Formats: sequence, structure tokens, C-alpha cells
Amino acid sequence: MPDSSSSRVSRNWFCAVSLAALASLAACATPPAANDQEAVAEFRETNDPLEPTNRTFYAINNGLDVVILRPLATAYRAALPQPVRNSVHNVLNNFGNPVTLFNDMFEAKPRRAGDTLMRLLVNTTVGVGGIFDVATDWGWPAHDNDAGMTMALWGLPDGPYLFLPVLGPSSPREATGFGVDYALNPTTWIGRGPTVNALGYAKTGLGALDARSAVLDDLDKVTSQALDPYATIRSLYRQHRQSQIDDARADNRATVPAWFPATGTPSKPGAAVK
Amino acid sequence: MKSIAMPLISLQLGRRHVLLAAAGLALTSGPAAAEIGVDEATKFIDAITKQLMETVNGPAEAAAKSQKLEAIIEAHVDIEAVARFCLGRFWRGATPQQQKSYLDLFHRVLVNNITGRVGEYQGVTIVTNRAAARESDVAVTTTVTRPNNAPNRVDWLVSAESGKPKVIDVIAEGTSLRLTQRNDYLSYLSHNNNDLQALIDALRQQAGK
Repeated sequence: MPDSSSSRVSRNWFCAVSLAALASLAACATPPAANDQEAVAEFRETNDPLEPTNRTFYAINNGLDVVILRPLATAYRAALPQPVRNSVHNVLNNFGNPVTLFNDMFEAKPRRAGDTLMRLLVNTTVGVGGIFDVATDWGWPAHDNDAGMTMALWGLPDGPYLFLPVLGPSSPREATGFGVDYALNPTTWIGRGPTVNALGYAKTGLGALDARSAVLDDLDKVTSQALDPYATIRSLYRQHRQSQIDDARADNRATVPAWFPATGTPSKPGAAVK
Repeated sequence: MKSIAMPLISLQLGRRHVLLAAAGLALTSGPAAAEIGVDEATKFIDAITKQLMETVNGPAEAAAKSQKLEAIIEAHVDIEAVARFCLGRFWRGATPQQQKSYLDLFHRVLVNNITGRVGEYQGVTIVTNRAAARESDVAVTTTVTRPNNAPNRVDWLVSAESGKPKVIDVIAEGTSLRLTQRNDYLSYLSHNNNDLQALIDALRQQAGK
């Protein structure tokens, strides 16, 4: 039976991969000699003690990307025109608004929470279920937020770098945040059954295509121009997260009405005072 | 990481605060050799981005555009300072011969990487927004919009250390190009016995492509 042989092959392949992963799980990055202070400082700053394991998962993810996600994302970009892909992106973003709203509130950022609430209400109704991003034009722009950022604003340190299977670049804080966001998402808890499950998978799949197709050219450039793509992605990921967190921390727009006598609080430049 | 965080936080402050801070800095640090004003840096970046837009969106052939772009980079980017930054502690340990080959190759790879992408930027618009002092340098914030792309915030770090204003870093959506490059090189070196010659050979291969 062709079925059993192909499943045996794939099982063997899976075993080989898991064994390799397990073997490297025990592996830790070797710190430099203690008397080389600059090298030690660099090692601490890199903060990637599980580097050998991370690199294994990076290689596995890369392999999966080359055979599955990248071709699909390329096809997705080729098959659908930009406006359609934008609409898909908008709908997915709208589904993410409840989680963003929860985190805005947890971070005690009333203006950000207001933006997100208005985005959810306006885009779901006027924007026809989130297809059109009307809210941005009406003065409620989008911003990034998630439980990883919330924990960062609460003062939790990032921890060492982790490269997770399927999920990619992460850290103990970010991985925890991923789980928290999953639990916060109302769609996690609504109904059960084949239709709901199918819609859930479709949303996850489209989310992966949307995210991957957005970075097709940039990621190709990283892998072709970097001498060490793993280290370059680690650096880019951390800088990007830090900048998202800094943006959230610095957004202290006032909540008083425009007619109220001005206080000393600097409002975010460019934001319309409503 | 902290060096990235600082300008982003200070960018959020009002213009007035920044000017006050810059004035305070000038008072406390005395007659520093290389200092650049916020207004001067803003004008400088405004002029460069105008040149960039004219070049990229102009009617010329791709090859001619690349050549013009290269001239802009040569004139306005302190390539040597960027190269030194990217090598970190290994710069001091290098022999003069290694330093020279590294600089040459870094220069070529940087120019190739930028001019190779000239076609992708067709239709780009760059708007200069505001600037903020960052130690002895100035970070100028711009909004870069490409057709069919969401606007990106790009900060240009301007230094006058070489005598005239020069770009020493470009920070796109919070990610610094020179810091990313430095992390790439340092990681490559640490996986090649910290042997600078290995990095130079790898760069030579990149430059040859």
C-alpha cells in the first residue's frame, strides 16, 4: 500500500528531525573566556544562551518555509490583486482588535483603548465587517499591541532569545504573551463544531499567508545579504519589538477635552485632539 | 538596544523640549569639536531626501539612476564611520592592511546593496517631519511612503564628526541598519574563531556578486 510506505517515510523523517532537535536541546552556547571582558559583554548583550538549539529550530522552520509557506505566500501574492489582499489584511486586523483593546486597557492607555474601540465599532459596521479600514481616515489609526508588550510595560524583562518551532523569533515573555493573547481572544471561546473549527483554521491560514506575503522581498533580502541570517533576524526582531514597546510607552496623550485649560502633559504630535 | 530606545523616546517630546535640551547640552559640553544643530541637520536631510526622490523617480535608465544614487551616498554618508561601528571591538585589533581591505569591501557591499534596490523605490515620497538631538548627533524623522505600502517611519542619524554633516545611520521602523549589520558581522566572527580574515573573505565574495 503506497499510503503506509509514505507514512513510514514521513515518520522516519519526523523521528530524525526530533532526534536532532532533542540532541541539540542539551546544547548550550559556550561563553567566552572570562578574562576577555569585551567578548563577555558581547555574549551577555546577545543573550542567546540556547543558541545551538535555536539554530536547529531556525533551520527546521526555514526548511518548512522553503517548501510550504514561501511558495504559498508567493502564489497568494501573484493570484490576488493588492486591494483584495488589503481587504483580507483589514478583516484579520479587525478580528485582532478585541485582543488589542484588552491589552490597551491592561497598559492603562485610555487614548489607545479609545482608538481600538472606535476601530472595532466603525470598521465592523461602516467598514462592512472589517473589509474597509474607515477608522484610520476618520482619525483612529491602528497601533500594535499584544500581551508581550503589556508585560514589558509592566516591567517584566524579555529574557533570553528563543526561536520556536513554527512561531519563530520569541522569548519567554513573548511566548507567554502569545498564550495570553490566545486566551484573551473571544474567537477562542465562541462555539464548537466543524464550521467554527473550519473558520478558525481558515483565519489562521490566511493570517500566515497575509503575514508571510508582506515580508516576501524583505526576508529574501535578509537571507541573501546577511552573512549570518539567524543573527540578523535575531537583531531585527529585538529592535522591532523594542520600538513597538517604546511607542506604546511614549503614547501618553491626554484624555481631557480640548476646551479644558491646558496642563503640562505633552500630547502625541500629529494626533488630533477630539 | 538602549541606544535605539533613547532617540525614539526623545522623538516623542515636543520640539520645544528638544531645543531646550539641545541648548542645555551645548552649555554643559562646551565647545565640542563636532556638533550639529537640529535645524542644520533637518535642512541637510531635507535636501538629501529631495535628491533621492528626484533620482529614484526620475526618467533615467536604471544604470544611470544607480550611478547618481552612488554619488549621493559617497557625498553624504560617512561610510568609514559606519564601517568602523559595524566592526566594533575588532576594528582596533585589525592590522592597517586588514582595515584598508575591510573599508574598501564594506564600501562596495553597502553601495551595491542600496543601488541594487533602486527599482523598488519607484514612486517613493519622503516627508521630513521633526528632529531631536541625540548626544552629539541629531536624529531626523521622515515618513517614507512607497506605492501600495503603508507609510514607514525612517529616522536618519546625522553626525558632524567628519567636519561636515553626514548620515551615520538609517533607522527604519525602529530598526537600525548599522546595528543590524554589526550584529550580523559580530555573530559571523564569533562563529569563525573571531578571525577577521574570514569576515574579509566573506565580504569579498559578497562584493564580487
